[in-house]
Parts: sequence; C-alpha cells; structure tokens
Amino acid sequence: MASAPTTSKIVFLIVGLIIGLIIGYGIGYATIAPQQVTVTTTTTVTSQATVTATATPAEKVKLIVIGPWAGAEMEAFQQVLNKFMEEHPNIEVEYRIYRAEDLASIAPPQFEAGMAPGDVIFSAWGWWVKEMGEKGHLLDLSGLVNTDEFVSGIFDPVKSGDKIYGLPFTAWAKPGFWYRKSFFQAHGLQEPKSWDEFLQLLDKIKGISGIEAPIVTGDSVGWPISDVTEHFIITFGGIDMQLKLIKGELKFNDPQVKEVFEKYLVPLIKEGYFSEPIEWTKAIEEWWNGKYALYFMGTWLTGMVDDPNDLGFFPLPGCKGVVMGTDYIFVPKYTKHPEEAKLLAKWLATEGQRVHVGTHAGKFATWLKVGVEDHWAPMQVVYEKLSKMKPVPDLDDSVGGDWQKLFWDQLKLLWVDPDKLDEVLNTLTENFPKE
Amino acid sequence: MSTLKMSPKRITFFIPALILILVFVVYPIVATIFLSFNINPIPGVNIVERPPGLENYVKIVSDKRFINPEGIKTLSFPMGAIVHNIIWIAIHLPLTLIIGILFAVFLQYVKGGSIIRSFIFLGMVIPMIVGGLLIQFSFDKDLGVVNLLLRIFGLGFLAKSWTIYPDTALFSLILGSVWLWSGFTVTMYSAGLSSLPREVIEAAIVDGADFKTILFKIIIPMLKPVTLTVVAMTILWDLKIFDIVYASTQGGPGGASTVLALLMYEYFARLGDYAMSATVATILTIIVIPVVILWIRSIMKGEKE
Repeated sequence: MASAPTTSKIVFLIVGLIIGLIIGYGIGYATIAPQQVTVTTTTTVTSQATVTATATPAEKVKLIVIGPWAGAEMEAFQQVLNKFMEEHPNIEVEYRIYRAEDLASIAPPQFEAGMAPGDVIFSAWGWWVKEMGEKGHLLDLSGLVNTDEFVSGIFDPVKSGDKIYGLPFTAWAKPGFWYRKSFFQAHGLQEPKSWDEFLQLLDKIKGISGIEAPIVTGDSVGWPISDVTEHFIITFGGIDMQLKLIKGELKFNDPQVKEVFEKYLVPLIKEGYFSEPIEWTKAIEEWWNGKYALYFMGTWLTGMVDDPNDLGFFPLPGCKGVVMGTDYIFVPKYTKHPEEAKLLAKWLATEGQRVHVGTHAGKFATWLKVGVEDHWAPMQVVYEKLSKMKPVPDLDDSVGGDWQKLFWDQLKLLWVDPDKLDEVLNTLTENFPKE
Repeated sequence: MSTLKMSPKRITFFIPALILILVFVVYPIVATIFLSFNINPIPGVNIVERPPGLENYVKIVSDKRFINPEGIKTLSFPMGAIVHNIIWIAIHLPLTLIIGILFAVFLQYVKGGSIIRSFIFLGMVIPMIVGGLLIQFSFDKDLGVVNLLLRIFGLGFLAKSWTIYPDTALFSLILGSVWLWSGFTVTMYSAGLSSLPREVIEAAIVDGADFKTILFKIIIPMLKPVTLTVVAMTILWDLKIFDIVYASTQGGPGGASTVLALLMYEYFARLGDYAMSATVATILTIIVIPVVILWIRSIMKGEKE
C-alpha cells in the first residue's frame, strides 16, 4: 500500500527542480544568441553601374537553391541552373522545393537560430522578403545589379531605405481565362467582347455534353481563387480599386467593392459556372481533357500543357489591367558561402533570366536587356497581347502577412457558400492590417 | 505491498533520469508558462517585448479563431478551435472505442484475424501528414472512396468534396482520424482480451450466457483498465491533433476546421508571436492536466485493488 510522500522526498524533489531549472537556464543562456540586430556590411557601390561579377571560387563550392517550382516548372528552372554551372564549373548548385507558404513558416525559426534552409532562395512575396531583411536575416544586395536595367518599380517591394533585400527574377502574369483553341473551334465558340457575350459563352459551354462546369476553379492554399477575384475587381472596379484596396484606402465592405462581388462574381458562382475548388494541377489535367472549358491561371500554364500552341486566353471584356508579379531572389545572412551566393543571385537576376524565358517556364523577363525575341515562342504571343494592358500588383501578395492567408481562406468559403458574402467582406475588413 | 525505502543509494539511480526530465520537460513547460505572461524566461534574451501581464490570455479569449460565440449560437462553423476540439473528442472517442472493442472481439474468433488486425493497424504507422492527404482524397467528390460508398448505399446526395465545405470539413477530418486511430484501440483491446482468463468466459458459456451477455457483463467490465487507458490516450491525441488538419484543410474553409494545435502553430510559425503561441500551449496543457490526473489516479486505484 502506497504511503504519503515523506518530508525528505518532498525536499529532494524541490532541490532537484531547482537544480533542473538552473541547468536549463544555463543551457538556454549558452545556446540562445543574444538579440542584437547585426548589420552585415557588404560592398555597396553608390553609382548605378553594374558591379563586376565576383570571380569563380578556386575551390569547389556547393550552393542550395530553394524555389517553389515542381514538375514542368522545375525542369525549366533546372535548365537555368545547369547553364550557370556550365559557366561556373567550381560551383555546384542543388535545387530544393519549398512552397512559399511553407517557406514562410519554416524559414523564420531557422533564421532565429542562425541557420538558413538554403543559400539562394526564391519568394514571390516581396513583403516577406522585405520583412526578413528588416529583421536582419538577409544580405543587402544593393549595388549588385544596376536597378535602371530593370522594369520600373520592380525593386519597390523589397527595398527598405537604401537597402535592397531581393533581386527580381522572371515575372508572371495572370492575364485571363485560358481555353483550348481546338475546343473552341470544335464547338463554334469565340472570345467574348462584352459582359453579355461572356455570359452567353458560359451558357453555351454549360450546355456542351461532357462539361461539368464552364470554368474550373483551382485550389491549393487559396491563391487560384484570389487570382480570379482580383481579376473581377480590376475589371469592374478598375485598377484604382485594386490599388486602393492594397493600400487600405478602400475597405472590402465598401458598397463599391461589394457591388463587384454581388453583381458579377457571386451570381456566376451561384449559377454553377464555376466548379468546386479542385487541386490546381489536377484542374489543369481535367480542363485540358475537356471536363471544363475555361481556366483562370497564370502564364506559367503555358509550360504545363502538352501543346501550348493550342492555348488561347482572354481577359474579362473591359479589363484594362493585368496582375503581374515576380519571384524575388534573396540571400540569407547565414549562408556559409556569401560571395558565391551573391554571384549566383546576380547571375540569376540578369543572364539567368535570358535562359529562363527561353524555356517552357511561361515567364517574362524583368531585366530589360532581354528582348521579346529571347522569349519562348508561345510567350511572345502572350507578351504582345499583354503589352496593351497595364501591370497591376497582386493584392494579397502586396498586403501579405496573416491577412493573405485569411483572404485566401475567406474566398474559399465564399466559393462554396456564396450567401456568406457579407460575412466574408466584413471579416476581410476587420482583419485588414492597420498600418 | 511494501514501499521501497528511499535510501541515498537508491536515490542516486534516479538522478540522471530526473535531470533529463527536469531539463527537457519541466524547464520548457515552466518557460512556456512564463512566456505566456510576457515574461522572458531567460533574462537578456528578449523573446517577447510586451509588458508582463494577462494581455495574451485576454487576446486569445476574444479571438474568434479560439472561440466564436456567434458560431456556437447559430450552430454553424466555425465555432472556434476549442469547440472544434471538443466536438472531435465527442465523436472520435466513442466511435474508436466501439470499433476497437468490436473488432478486437470479432478478430479473436475469425481465421486470419491477425492479418486483418495488421491492416487495421496500418492507419497507425502511416505518418499523420500522409494521413491528412489521404483523408482529403478519400472525401474527394470524384476520387474519394467515401463518396463511392455513399453512392453504392444510395446516399449519393451526400457525395461532395467534404473537406472544402465549412459544414462538413471538420467531420471529414474526424471520420478520417477514426480510421487512423482505430488501429491503436483494436490493438489495445486485443492485448487486453488475450490476457483475460478463458475460464470465466467458458464458465459463462456453460451456464448458457449468450454472446451479448458475455460481451457486456463479462468482457467489457474486465477490460475496464484497458478502456481507461484508451480513453485517456485518445483524448490526449484528439486535443493535440495538428498534422491531419494542416495537411488536409489548413484549418479552413473560413476557419471551420481549425484546432488548438494549429492555432498554436500559426502564432508560432506564421506570425512569429511566440508569446501568443505559448499562451495557446498553456491553455492546452491546462485542459490536458485533469485528463492525465484522472487517468493516473484510476491506474493507481486499480493497482491498489
């Protein structure tokens, strides 16, 4: 039969607890780095001349590059890395895949611990790159390239004061609804020139045998749905509405914004013109095989289909803006090979773009020294069509933070329960970042 | 039963294990609790820069992701992570208990029962992240085995992609987790059954007791210690569920399937707010403690008897 603890046992336990706490404190004190913001000084050239590339290292160095691309996109990017390794035989580059949302979760704790998952990392979220840079985790890349040689304003999201934390890589656009030309020809369909024609097109497609829904909705963490939504905002609210929403000058539950949803987007969802959200790469396959007719997706889609020459796209009639964005390259401060990493980052931002746009990646160059003729043929066609439209920043990528995830999540909710429009818009408004 | 005398010699054998527990278990728990009150556990290391106080607890309780009074009032999702966890326990626990005991009894008398048992146990050996993805596919409108079965049994009107709708997302995860966890309950009950004295059951059969009587009057009461362990472990598992939700729905749509552990993760990894994450962890610990205490008490009571 158990007896109550004796006094000596209690004393023993208390002493043991104190010893344990002291040891734990000691381990924590010894292992956790003091919280100082260290500024890494890099060689900065105040003039806008391009800095001469660092010479290839004498000894073999291995760099880890992290990017979000898998499948066909990864194959295209690998061609870029292979070209780099050809020109720099002493630098071996290994590519690893992390989705942007996973990187945003994994990287900060690693940075806090003084480590980095890679030497050169890509992220489409300029706001996040800037945030990491301001926290002292990234190398300042200003002076590495001549910013005048790039598309105007491309450095703004990754700039803090006179420091630049990211270099732009190739850009993508979300131009409109993609379709198979052969499908349209087979069913006598045409690109719509007005909203009424668009509705008629959807009706006609809905009546085609074998079609589950006219427009397939891609799903993932939610960005494909947000892309469609932004397209409606830009078309019916104007580029100005998108920009004001990004800056917080206009609220989501403002009557003007609500009207775009209520009058145009929600009725289409209720009529069943949009499919249920389907994993976005599976959606490509099903759309290509004729289960759906239209797919709102980015230009990278061109590299993910069997026959890009069979691709056509149209924006919503009246749309004057196209969401464009770029992937940014940054170098964590904790890389073991900072000079080689900067060399790779610089190369990727310049000559690397020339290689990339020539692959089936479906991207455009942001480095102005790359001409239209350097682009893969199907993208040249897209380029011509898009040149008439004004580039607009991506809404959730620009706002960023926890609100971005909320935006995606709320739109997923709207898609499956369109009667919750008011609740969704109010939630987005209440949780919008204050600053 | 006599108590071992705690002589200094005997105590020294406990010291290494005790130090490890104190350093790697007790200290982090204490540090987390400190952090939840905005007190930096290590002076000089500013993990949190807000003044000490109850601010985090006030923030959490008023966070609709933690508890959503409107959702609770209207019985619509989201109701808040803590309510979702409670619903999870309310559905998952009885189902896994029933499946566990029924399968354990059934497989005792079926040829090839051990092979079937190992298939059921597969759910336990699959990584939970993979389990989450499997759940997502299982409830897919076109590919999912669940919807296929619903159509076969004439319940096709229920067939849809359960994980994308707010009213069914949580239930799809719970039902999927029943499959993943049943291997544990079946195994525990199977082990318990094999340790039961055969004579008692044989005597009941000789006396003319039917299967139902034997099950409810003999087997289940005799398996009470096993049941207590299964209940405690299942509740603990349900309270700390994370990977299934993360892989399958990320807590959506609209927060309809978020759980406490996912909320804790979001504060920690997405927002970098370690103090808020520590607050959720502390609340989770407070909820878990009574369960553990009751479980240990019942085990010790059983040992006394």
